Amino acid sequence: MGIAARNPRELDVALAQRAGAGDRAAQRELFQAQKHGVHHALFRILGSNRELEDLLQDSFVAIFRALPSFRGDSSLGRWCQTIAMRTAYATIAKRRPAVLELVDDHLADPTPDAQRVMRAKDAVRRLYGALDRIEAKQRIAYALFAIDGRTLAEVAELTDSSVLAVKTRVWRARRELMRRARKDEVLSEYLTELGGDS
Amino acid sequence: MSNTERPPVEPLSDVAWTRVERGVWSRLDETDVVRERHSPRRWWLAAPLAAAAIFAVVLIVHTPARPNRDEGPTRVVSEASSSSVSLGDAHIALEPHSAIVMDSHAGAPNVLVEHGAAWFAVEPRGSRPPFVVIAGDMRVRVIGTRFRVARDAERIEVVVDHGIVEVGYHGELVRVTNGQHWSSDAPSVVAMAEPEPAPAPVTPEPAPVTPAPIVPAPAPIVHSPAHVPSVAHPVTPPAPATHSPAADRDAARYAELSRREASSPDAAMAGYLALSKGSGRWAQVALYAAGRLAADRGEPRATTFLEIYLRRFPNGANADDARQLLSRLKGTP
Repeated sequence: MGIAARNPRELDVALAQRAGAGDRAAQRELFQAQKHGVHHALFRILGSNRELEDLLQDSFVAIFRALPSFRGDSSLGRWCQTIAMRTAYATIAKRRPAVLELVDDHLADPTPDAQRVMRAKDAVRRLYGALDRIEAKQRIAYALFAIDGRTLAEVAELTDSSVLAVKTRVWRARRELMRRARKDEVLSEYLTELGGDS
Repeated sequence: MSNTERPPVEPLSDVAWTRVERGVWSRLDETDVVRERHSPRRWWLAAPLAAAAIFAVVLIVHTPARPNRDEGPTRVVSEASSSSVSLGDAHIALEPHSAIVMDSHAGAPNVLVEHGAAWFAVEPRGSRPPFVVIAGDMRVRVIGTRFRVARDAERIEVVVDHGIVEVGYHGELVRVTNGQHWSSDAPSVVAMAEPEPAPAPVTPEPAPVTPAPIVPAPAPIVHSPAHVPSVAHPVTPPAPATHSPAADRDAARYAELSRREASSPDAAMAGYLALSKGSGRWAQVALYAAGRLAADRGEPRATTFLEIYLRRFPNGANADDARQLLSRLKGTP
């Protein structure tokens, strides 16, 4: 908890060591510092906060258990997100696809702007519905690259994969999504807008 | 993403974060217990450890002041009566049933308030590293002052007797000075403090404290989240004006309503609306709070409240927030 003049990587390692040794104050500090980054990455994978609380808990428990292995080769934030991605993969790989919810298309506010926002929300919901039916590694790579806008190299680091493997997963995910979008005009239009050629 | 915006990442509510955090500590504690149960070489350590703990308790009870610390964290717990301890030249008076963890590294003292309340008397730090107090998500940075920090689960309060402290909470910094009060219920609002009961004497006196060095603190039990601070729409306090008893009364009333939002949202709403009818500077804060609370609860009247707010206070302290919230409710960017 000292406030010595050290570089961020050294501070990361010191914090990880204290938290890994069971210092609850350090664990709380680490949790507060990393919770938003981990939540952001996981939200991109799942597309909503439903089911996210359990996944956040699992991720942070995995992070705290793995802390003794943190050597500061990457930032603590990136390292925590990598663990969270592994946890997300384990969760998604074994779950059944969610049933797409039916929504009321009636718009309370018929202004063009309101309609545009509603259409965008609907498109995102359809996108994640389709992602639910795609292989977990492809889904994670696509969500981080095409939806969150991270680079292939970043996604590769977060998922412990090579850039080539990530590129292939994104391509396969997009091909599968486009196939599903043939019967879904809204999704098709949204995928075209997303673009993001790898 | 080429032609379209990225879908927004919806924030998780503070209540949900509290559940997640509590679940994590609980599962980590379970793991520790299981590990201890399966450890084949712990049993013979039990007797010497118990003896050492008893010796430590006796030593602390008979030691008037604690020496400066730089040897790792120490947890101090007060029981039915108040206790006082020293950390360097700072004196800490724990109120009954409170627990803190003291640590000091390279001359930088810091204290974690686990639960309960404590008064801190900190000598001017000069060029030395600041004295830091942490409670939940809140961090107080001290230059030299006397102040009280109270924590009940994730609800935190700071009262400054004299001097100035800097309170950091969820990325925002607020300065709290002589006689002022800050609460995590309304983190952007600094109000005049209500009179507090006389604190324990700050001179270090022998008092029954139970140390448990380097023992991870138990996970806090969240009784009930008193209030969900609106991170997206914090309430900006009105511009400072001449103090009057009425303004102080309104400020206290506002703080009370804000505390009751989670447990009695209807009562809080009624109170905000009543307060908003006044002409004082807290009327506008209360009217915005009514709009924000209605929006949080998905009530259609949120739009009406916010529109009235903007008509009455087009340049009010929360006018920008009200416009943003209104746009969001109407589904416009």
